[in-house]
Amino acid sequence: MNFREVVIAVSIALMVLLLAYVIEAGGLGPIAPQRLRELAASYLLNTYNPWNIIQSAQSLEAVTAIVWDYRGIDTFFETSVLFISIVGVSLLFRGYREKAGISNRGLSEIVKTSTKILSPLILISGLSIAIHGHLTPGGGFQGGSFIAVLLVLLSVVFSLDFVVERGLSTSRLLVLRSLGLLGVLATSVALLVVGLLTGVNAYIFQNMVREGASLSMPPWFLDRPTGGTLLFFNVFEALAVAAGLSLAFIVLSLRREEVEEALEKGEWYE
Amino acid sequence: MSDPVSLLFTVLILSLVVNIGISLYGVFTRPSLVKKFISLTIFSDTLNSFAIALGFRRVVEGYPSIAVLASIPEDVSELAVVANTAVDPVPQALVLTAIVIGLAVYMFLAGLIVMYYRHYRTTHVRPAGGGSIE
Repeated sequence: MNFREVVIAVSIALMVLLLAYVIEAGGLGPIAPQRLRELAASYLLNTYNPWNIIQSAQSLEAVTAIVWDYRGIDTFFETSVLFISIVGVSLLFRGYREKAGISNRGLSEIVKTSTKILSPLILISGLSIAIHGHLTPGGGFQGGSFIAVLLVLLSVVFSLDFVVERGLSTSRLLVLRSLGLLGVLATSVALLVVGLLTGVNAYIFQNMVREGASLSMPPWFLDRPTGGTLLFFNVFEALAVAAGLSLAFIVLSLRREEVEEALEKGEWYE
Repeated sequence: MSDPVSLLFTVLILSLVVNIGISLYGVFTRPSLVKKFISLTIFSDTLNSFAIALGFRRVVEGYPSIAVLASIPEDVSELAVVANTAVDPVPQALVLTAIVIGLAVYMFLAGLIVMYYRHYRTTHVRPAGGGSIE
Protein backbone atom coordinates (compact mmCIF):
# COMPACT_ATOMS: atom_id res chain seq x y z
CA MET A 1 0.00 0.00 0.00
CA ASN A 2 1.79 3.10 -1.17
CA PHE A 3 1.27 6.75 -0.35
CA ARG A 4 -0.81 7.41 -3.48
CA GLU A 5 -3.45 4.83 -2.59
CA VAL A 6 -3.73 6.17 0.95
CA VAL A 7 -4.35 9.69 -0.36
CA ILE A 8 -7.04 8.41 -2.74
CA ALA A 9 -8.75 6.37 -0.03
CA VAL A 10 -8.72 9.23 2.48
CA SER A 11 -10.04 11.79 0.00
CA ILE A 12 -12.83 9.47 -1.12
CA ALA A 13 -13.80 8.74 2.48
CA LEU A 14 -13.86 12.50 3.12
CA MET A 15 -16.03 12.99 0.01
CA VAL A 16 -18.50 10.36 1.23
CA LEU A 17 -18.73 11.97 4.68
CA LEU A 18 -19.19 15.50 3.34
CA LEU A 19 -21.71 14.41 0.70
CA ALA A 20 -23.70 12.54 3.33
CA TYR A 21 -23.60 15.63 5.55
CA VAL A 22 -24.79 17.88 2.70
CA ILE A 23 -27.68 15.57 1.91
CA GLU A 24 -28.69 15.23 5.53
CA ALA A 25 -28.56 19.02 5.92
CA GLY A 26 -31.03 19.32 3.03
CA GLY A 27 -28.56 20.52 0.41
CA LEU A 28 -30.26 18.56 -2.38
CA GLY A 29 -33.73 19.62 -1.35
CA PRO A 30 -36.06 17.70 0.94
CA ILE A 31 -35.78 13.90 0.78
CA ALA A 32 -39.14 12.16 0.29
CA PRO A 33 -41.31 15.28 0.64
CA GLN A 34 -45.08 15.14 0.94
CA ARG A 35 -45.64 17.84 -1.66
CA LEU A 36 -45.06 16.93 -5.29
CA ARG A 37 -43.02 19.29 -7.44
CA GLU A 38 -45.20 21.43 -9.72
CA LEU A 39 -43.69 20.08 -12.94
CA ALA A 40 -44.43 16.50 -11.85
CA ALA A 41 -47.97 17.42 -10.82
CA SER A 42 -48.68 18.99 -14.22
CA TYR A 43 -47.37 15.88 -16.01
CA LEU A 44 -49.50 13.62 -13.83
CA LEU A 45 -52.59 15.78 -14.38
CA ASN A 46 -52.17 15.97 -18.15
CA THR A 47 -50.81 12.58 -19.15
CA TYR A 48 -54.32 11.23 -19.73
CA ASN A 49 -56.75 14.09 -19.73
CA PRO A 50 -59.56 13.99 -22.33
CA TRP A 51 -60.99 17.17 -20.76
CA ASN A 52 -57.86 19.15 -21.61
CA ILE A 53 -56.67 17.38 -24.74
CA ILE A 54 -54.57 20.35 -25.89
CA GLN A 55 -51.96 19.50 -23.24
CA SER A 56 -52.57 15.78 -22.97
CA ALA A 57 -50.68 12.82 -24.41
CA GLN A 58 -53.61 10.41 -23.89
CA SER A 59 -51.28 7.86 -22.33
CA LEU A 60 -52.14 6.20 -19.03
CA GLU A 61 -48.46 6.00 -18.11
CA ALA A 62 -46.78 9.28 -17.29
CA VAL A 63 -43.16 8.18 -17.89
CA THR A 64 -43.79 7.02 -21.46
CA ALA A 65 -45.76 10.19 -22.11
CA ILE A 66 -42.82 12.32 -20.94
CA VAL A 67 -40.23 10.26 -22.80
CA TRP A 68 -41.95 10.00 -26.19
CA ASP A 69 -44.40 12.91 -26.27
CA TYR A 70 -43.38 15.87 -24.12
CA ARG A 71 -39.65 15.22 -24.62
CA GLY A 72 -39.91 13.38 -27.93
CA ILE A 73 -37.04 15.04 -29.80
CA ASP A 74 -34.74 14.40 -26.85
CA THR A 75 -35.60 10.71 -26.95
CA PHE A 76 -35.16 10.56 -30.71
CA PHE A 77 -31.58 11.78 -30.35
CA GLU A 78 -31.04 9.39 -27.46
CA THR A 79 -32.00 6.53 -29.78
CA SER A 80 -29.65 8.00 -32.37
CA VAL A 81 -26.81 7.94 -29.82
CA LEU A 82 -27.45 4.24 -29.29
CA PHE A 83 -27.39 3.76 -33.06
CA ILE A 84 -24.14 5.70 -33.41
CA SER A 85 -22.60 3.61 -30.63
CA ILE A 86 -23.56 0.41 -32.45
CA VAL A 87 -22.12 1.78 -35.69
CA GLY A 88 -18.95 2.62 -33.72
CA VAL A 89 -18.69 -0.91 -32.32
CA SER A 90 -19.19 -2.39 -35.78
CA LEU A 91 -16.49 -0.05 -37.11
CA LEU A 92 -14.07 -1.10 -34.37
CA PHE A 93 -14.54 -4.74 -35.35
CA ARG A 94 -14.65 -4.21 -39.10
CA GLY A 95 -13.41 -6.95 -41.39
CA TYR A 96 -15.14 -9.52 -39.24
CA ARG A 97 -17.47 -12.15 -40.70
CA GLU A 98 -19.29 -14.89 -38.83
CA LYS A 99 -17.82 -18.28 -39.67
CA ALA A 100 -19.87 -21.45 -39.37
CA GLY A 101 -18.75 -24.65 -37.69
CA ILE A 102 -16.05 -23.37 -35.35
CA SER A 103 -17.88 -22.98 -32.07
CA ASN A 104 -18.80 -25.90 -29.83
CA ARG A 105 -22.28 -27.32 -29.84
CA GLY A 106 -23.55 -25.41 -26.85
CA LEU A 107 -24.46 -26.56 -23.37
CA SER A 108 -26.05 -29.81 -22.20
CA GLU A 109 -29.40 -31.21 -23.30
CA ILE A 110 -31.08 -30.21 -20.01
CA VAL A 111 -30.17 -26.55 -20.45
CA LYS A 112 -31.21 -26.64 -24.10
CA THR A 113 -34.64 -28.10 -23.30
CA SER A 114 -35.35 -25.57 -20.56
CA THR A 115 -34.21 -22.76 -22.87
CA LYS A 116 -36.58 -24.05 -25.55
CA ILE A 117 -39.43 -23.77 -23.06
CA LEU A 118 -38.31 -20.33 -21.88
CA SER A 119 -37.62 -18.71 -25.27
CA PRO A 120 -41.21 -18.09 -26.43
CA LEU A 121 -42.08 -16.83 -22.96
CA ILE A 122 -39.23 -14.31 -23.04
CA LEU A 123 -40.23 -13.17 -26.53
CA ILE A 124 -43.91 -12.78 -25.60
CA SER A 125 -43.26 -10.93 -22.35
CA GLY A 126 -40.76 -8.63 -24.09
CA LEU A 127 -43.31 -7.82 -26.79
CA SER A 128 -45.97 -7.33 -24.14
CA ILE A 129 -43.79 -4.87 -22.20
CA ALA A 130 -43.14 -2.93 -25.42
CA ILE A 131 -46.70 -2.89 -26.78
CA HIS A 132 -48.25 -1.99 -23.41
CA GLY A 133 -45.66 0.73 -22.84
CA HIS A 134 -48.30 3.46 -22.69
CA LEU A 135 -50.57 1.48 -20.30
CA THR A 136 -48.25 -0.18 -17.79
CA PRO A 137 -44.70 0.48 -16.54
CA GLY A 138 -42.25 -0.35 -19.29
CA GLY A 139 -41.86 0.72 -22.88
CA GLY A 140 -39.91 0.22 -26.05
CA PHE A 141 -36.44 0.25 -24.56
CA GLN A 142 -37.29 -2.11 -21.72
CA GLY A 143 -39.14 -4.52 -24.00
CA GLY A 144 -36.33 -4.39 -26.56
CA SER A 145 -33.64 -5.19 -24.02
CA PHE A 146 -35.86 -7.99 -22.72
CA ILE A 147 -35.96 -9.50 -26.22
CA ALA A 148 -32.20 -8.99 -26.65
CA VAL A 149 -31.71 -11.25 -23.61
CA LEU A 150 -33.34 -14.01 -25.65
CA LEU A 151 -30.66 -13.83 -28.33
CA VAL A 152 -27.87 -13.70 -25.74
CA LEU A 153 -29.37 -16.78 -24.09
CA LEU A 154 -29.71 -18.61 -27.42
CA SER A 155 -26.16 -17.83 -28.50
CA VAL A 156 -24.75 -19.01 -25.16
CA VAL A 157 -26.88 -22.14 -24.81
CA PHE A 158 -27.11 -23.23 -28.46
CA SER A 159 -23.86 -21.58 -29.71
CA LEU A 160 -23.53 -18.64 -32.07
CA ASP A 161 -23.77 -20.88 -35.14
CA PHE A 162 -27.33 -21.78 -34.21
CA VAL A 163 -28.32 -18.11 -34.15
CA VAL A 164 -26.47 -17.17 -37.34
CA GLU A 165 -27.86 -20.18 -39.23
CA ARG A 166 -31.36 -18.97 -38.46
CA GLY A 167 -30.70 -15.73 -40.26
CA LEU A 168 -29.73 -13.37 -37.44
CA SER A 169 -26.36 -12.36 -38.87
CA THR A 170 -24.83 -9.00 -37.95
CA SER A 171 -25.64 -7.43 -41.31
CA ARG A 172 -29.27 -8.45 -41.07
CA LEU A 173 -29.47 -7.20 -37.48
CA LEU A 174 -28.03 -3.86 -38.60
CA VAL A 175 -30.77 -3.65 -41.23
CA LEU A 176 -33.42 -4.40 -38.58
CA ARG A 177 -31.83 -1.78 -36.32
CA SER A 178 -31.99 0.82 -39.09
CA LEU A 179 -35.59 -0.14 -39.88
CA GLY A 180 -36.51 0.53 -36.25
CA LEU A 181 -34.88 3.96 -36.33
CA LEU A 182 -36.56 4.75 -39.67
CA GLY A 183 -39.89 3.70 -38.16
CA VAL A 184 -39.36 6.12 -35.28
CA LEU A 185 -38.50 8.85 -37.78
CA ALA A 186 -41.55 8.06 -39.94
CA THR A 187 -43.87 8.12 -36.92
CA SER A 188 -42.48 11.45 -35.78
CA VAL A 189 -43.15 13.16 -39.12
CA ALA A 190 -46.35 11.24 -40.03
CA LEU A 191 -48.77 13.97 -38.98
CA LEU A 192 -46.56 16.67 -40.50
CA VAL A 193 -46.65 14.89 -43.89
CA VAL A 194 -50.43 14.44 -43.68
CA GLY A 195 -50.77 18.10 -42.75
CA LEU A 196 -48.59 19.21 -45.68
CA LEU A 197 -50.58 17.05 -48.11
CA THR A 198 -53.97 18.28 -46.92
CA GLY A 199 -52.91 21.86 -46.27
CA VAL A 200 -53.56 21.79 -42.51
CA ASN A 201 -51.19 23.01 -39.80
CA ALA A 202 -49.24 20.24 -38.05
CA TYR A 203 -46.09 19.90 -35.97
CA ILE A 204 -43.20 17.48 -35.98
CA PHE A 205 -43.56 14.94 -33.13
CA GLN A 206 -47.23 15.88 -32.86
CA ASN A 207 -49.35 13.34 -31.06
CA MET A 208 -52.74 14.74 -30.05
CA VAL A 209 -54.59 17.88 -31.06
CA ARG A 210 -52.49 20.97 -30.26
CA GLU A 211 -53.24 24.65 -30.44
CA GLY A 212 -53.59 25.65 -34.09
CA ALA A 213 -53.09 22.09 -35.32
CA SER A 214 -56.23 20.02 -35.46
CA LEU A 215 -54.70 16.74 -36.66
CA SER A 216 -54.37 13.89 -34.19
CA MET A 217 -53.14 10.30 -34.12
CA PRO A 218 -55.92 7.78 -33.32
CA PRO A 219 -56.20 7.83 -29.51
CA TRP A 220 -58.26 4.63 -29.35
CA PHE A 221 -57.92 1.16 -30.85
CA LEU A 222 -61.26 -0.61 -30.27
CA ASP A 223 -61.71 -0.18 -26.50
CA ARG A 224 -58.04 0.48 -25.64
CA PRO A 225 -56.22 3.81 -25.56
CA THR A 226 -53.21 3.73 -27.89
CA GLY A 227 -51.58 6.96 -26.80
CA GLY A 228 -51.47 8.02 -30.46
CA THR A 229 -47.84 7.94 -31.59
CA LEU A 230 -46.64 6.29 -28.36
CA LEU A 231 -47.69 2.78 -29.45
CA PHE A 232 -45.75 3.08 -32.72
CA PHE A 233 -42.74 4.65 -31.03
CA ASN A 234 -42.62 1.85 -28.49
CA VAL A 235 -42.90 -0.93 -31.08
CA PHE A 236 -40.22 0.56 -33.36
CA GLU A 237 -37.95 1.35 -30.42
CA ALA A 238 -38.29 -2.24 -29.18
CA LEU A 239 -37.31 -3.54 -32.63
CA ALA A 240 -34.38 -1.15 -32.82
CA VAL A 241 -33.07 -1.87 -29.32
CA ALA A 242 -33.50 -5.66 -29.58
CA ALA A 243 -31.64 -5.78 -32.90
CA GLY A 244 -28.99 -3.30 -31.79
CA LEU A 245 -28.13 -4.99 -28.49
CA SER A 246 -28.08 -8.43 -30.13
CA LEU A 247 -25.75 -7.05 -32.79
CA ALA A 248 -23.44 -5.58 -30.17
CA PHE A 249 -23.41 -8.86 -28.25
CA ILE A 250 -22.54 -10.92 -31.35
CA VAL A 251 -19.79 -8.50 -32.33
CA LEU A 252 -18.30 -8.41 -28.83
CA SER A 253 -18.34 -12.21 -28.50
CA LEU A 254 -16.37 -12.81 -31.68
CA ARG A 255 -14.12 -15.87 -31.73
CA ARG A 256 -10.41 -16.38 -32.24
CA GLU A 257 -10.66 -17.86 -35.75
CA GLU A 258 -12.74 -14.95 -36.95
CA VAL A 259 -10.36 -12.45 -35.38
CA GLU A 260 -7.35 -14.06 -36.99
CA GLU A 261 -9.02 -14.02 -40.37
CA ALA A 262 -9.84 -10.36 -39.95
CA LEU A 263 -6.25 -9.68 -38.84
CA GLU A 264 -4.87 -11.48 -41.90
CA LYS A 265 -6.85 -9.18 -44.12
CA GLY A 266 -4.80 -6.46 -42.49
CA GLU A 267 -7.59 -4.00 -41.96
CA TRP A 268 -6.80 -3.30 -38.32
CA TYR A 269 -3.99 -1.24 -36.84
CA GLU A 270 -2.76 0.05 -40.19
CA MET B 1 -35.80 10.27 13.52
CA SER B 2 -38.55 8.34 15.30
CA ASP B 3 -40.37 7.80 12.02
CA PRO B 4 -39.25 4.41 10.57
CA VAL B 5 -39.67 5.57 6.97
CA SER B 6 -37.28 8.50 7.55
CA LEU B 7 -34.79 6.19 9.24
CA LEU B 8 -34.89 3.70 6.35
CA PHE B 9 -34.58 6.53 3.87
CA THR B 10 -31.52 7.86 5.67
CA VAL B 11 -29.97 4.39 5.54
CA LEU B 12 -30.77 4.12 1.81
CA ILE B 13 -29.29 7.51 0.92
CA LEU B 14 -26.19 6.91 3.06
CA SER B 15 -25.56 3.52 1.48
CA LEU B 16 -25.92 5.04 -1.98
CA VAL B 17 -23.36 7.71 -1.06
CA VAL B 18 -20.98 5.07 0.33
CA ASN B 19 -21.50 3.11 -2.90
CA ILE B 20 -20.45 6.19 -4.90
CA GLY B 21 -17.26 6.34 -2.84
CA ILE B 22 -16.45 2.65 -3.29
CA SER B 23 -17.05 2.71 -7.03
CA LEU B 24 -14.92 5.85 -7.47
CA TYR B 25 -12.16 4.16 -5.46
CA GLY B 26 -12.37 1.23 -7.91
CA VAL B 27 -12.13 3.55 -10.92
CA PHE B 28 -9.07 5.35 -9.45
CA THR B 29 -7.01 2.52 -8.03
CA ARG B 30 -7.70 -0.71 -9.91
CA PRO B 31 -5.13 -1.16 -12.69
CA SER B 32 -7.26 -3.47 -14.84
CA LEU B 33 -9.46 -1.74 -17.41
CA VAL B 34 -12.17 -4.35 -16.97
CA LYS B 35 -12.38 -3.60 -13.24
CA LYS B 36 -12.39 0.13 -13.92
CA PHE B 37 -15.23 -0.49 -16.37
CA ILE B 38 -17.23 -2.49 -13.82
CA SER B 39 -16.69 0.23 -11.19
CA LEU B 40 -17.85 2.86 -13.66
CA THR B 41 -21.09 0.96 -14.37
CA ILE B 42 -21.68 0.61 -10.60
CA PHE B 43 -21.07 4.36 -10.27
CA SER B 44 -23.65 5.23 -12.92
CA ASP B 45 -26.18 2.74 -11.55
CA THR B 46 -25.77 4.29 -8.11
CA LEU B 47 -26.36 7.78 -9.47
CA ASN B 48 -29.45 6.56 -11.34
CA SER B 49 -30.85 4.95 -8.18
CA PHE B 50 -30.09 8.17 -6.36
CA ALA B 51 -32.11 10.19 -8.88
CA ILE B 52 -35.02 7.75 -8.58
CA ALA B 53 -34.85 8.03 -4.78
CA LEU B 54 -35.06 11.82 -5.05
CA GLY B 55 -38.33 11.37 -6.99
CA PHE B 56 -39.89 9.45 -4.12
CA ARG B 57 -42.52 11.17 -2.02
CA ARG B 58 -44.64 10.48 1.02
CA VAL B 59 -48.39 10.63 1.11
CA VAL B 60 -50.60 11.44 4.03
CA GLU B 61 -52.20 8.01 4.23
CA GLY B 62 -50.84 4.68 3.07
CA TYR B 63 -48.15 4.35 0.43
CA PRO B 64 -47.41 6.34 -2.73
CA SER B 65 -48.39 4.73 -6.03
CA ILE B 66 -46.45 4.46 -9.30
CA ALA B 67 -46.89 7.22 -11.87
CA VAL B 68 -49.46 5.21 -13.83
CA LEU B 69 -53.22 5.58 -14.02
CA ALA B 70 -54.56 2.17 -13.03
CA SER B 71 -57.81 2.59 -14.95
CA ILE B 72 -59.25 4.96 -17.53
CA PRO B 73 -60.56 7.93 -15.53
CA GLU B 74 -64.19 8.83 -15.96
CA ASP B 75 -64.08 12.18 -14.21
CA VAL B 76 -61.59 15.03 -13.83
CA SER B 77 -61.50 14.56 -10.07
CA GLU B 78 -59.86 11.11 -10.47
CA LEU B 79 -56.83 12.82 -11.99
CA ALA B 80 -56.34 14.93 -8.88
CA VAL B 81 -56.39 11.74 -6.78
CA VAL B 82 -53.56 10.29 -8.90
CA ALA B 83 -51.58 13.52 -8.68
CA ASN B 84 -51.98 13.40 -4.90
CA THR B 85 -50.64 9.87 -4.48
CA ALA B 86 -48.27 9.12 -7.38
CA VAL B 87 -44.49 9.53 -7.18
CA ASP B 88 -42.59 12.03 -9.33
CA PRO B 89 -42.36 10.71 -12.94
CA VAL B 90 -39.77 13.26 -14.12
CA PRO B 91 -36.65 11.64 -12.54
CA GLN B 92 -37.80 8.28 -13.87
CA ALA B 93 -38.02 9.63 -17.42
CA LEU B 94 -34.63 11.32 -17.12
CA VAL B 95 -33.06 8.16 -15.68
CA LEU B 96 -34.51 6.13 -18.56
CA THR B 97 -32.74 8.48 -20.98
CA ALA B 98 -29.56 8.33 -18.90
CA ILE B 99 -29.62 4.52 -18.88
CA VAL B 100 -29.94 4.33 -22.67
CA ILE B 101 -27.13 6.84 -23.25
CA GLY B 102 -25.01 5.09 -20.62
CA LEU B 103 -25.61 1.76 -22.30
CA ALA B 104 -24.51 3.20 -25.64
CA VAL B 105 -21.32 4.59 -24.12
CA TYR B 106 -20.53 1.39 -22.18
CA MET B 107 -21.09 -0.75 -25.26
CA PHE B 108 -18.49 1.27 -27.16
CA LEU B 109 -16.20 1.24 -24.13
CA ALA B 110 -16.44 -2.55 -23.89
CA GLY B 111 -15.53 -2.78 -27.56
CA LEU B 112 -12.53 -0.51 -26.98
CA ILE B 113 -11.38 -2.64 -24.03
CA VAL B 114 -11.61 -5.81 -26.12
CA MET B 115 -9.52 -4.12 -28.82
CA TYR B 116 -7.04 -2.91 -26.17
CA TYR B 117 -6.66 -6.49 -24.98
CA ARG B 118 -6.09 -7.77 -28.51
CA HIS B 119 -3.44 -5.10 -29.09
CA TYR B 120 -1.49 -5.25 -25.81
CA ARG B 121 -2.42 -8.80 -24.65
CA THR B 122 -3.40 -7.39 -21.23
CA THR B 123 -6.06 -5.13 -19.77
CA HIS B 124 -3.55 -3.38 -17.47
CA VAL B 125 -3.57 0.38 -18.10
CA ARG B 126 0.19 0.88 -17.89
CA PRO B 127 1.25 -0.39 -21.38
CA ALA B 128 -0.92 2.29 -23.01
CA GLY B 129 1.32 4.98 -21.48
CA GLY B 130 4.48 3.26 -22.64
CA GLY B 131 5.30 1.73 -19.25
CA SER B 132 5.48 -1.91 -18.28
CA ILE B 133 3.60 -3.98 -15.70
CA GLU B 134 5.61 -4.38 -12.50
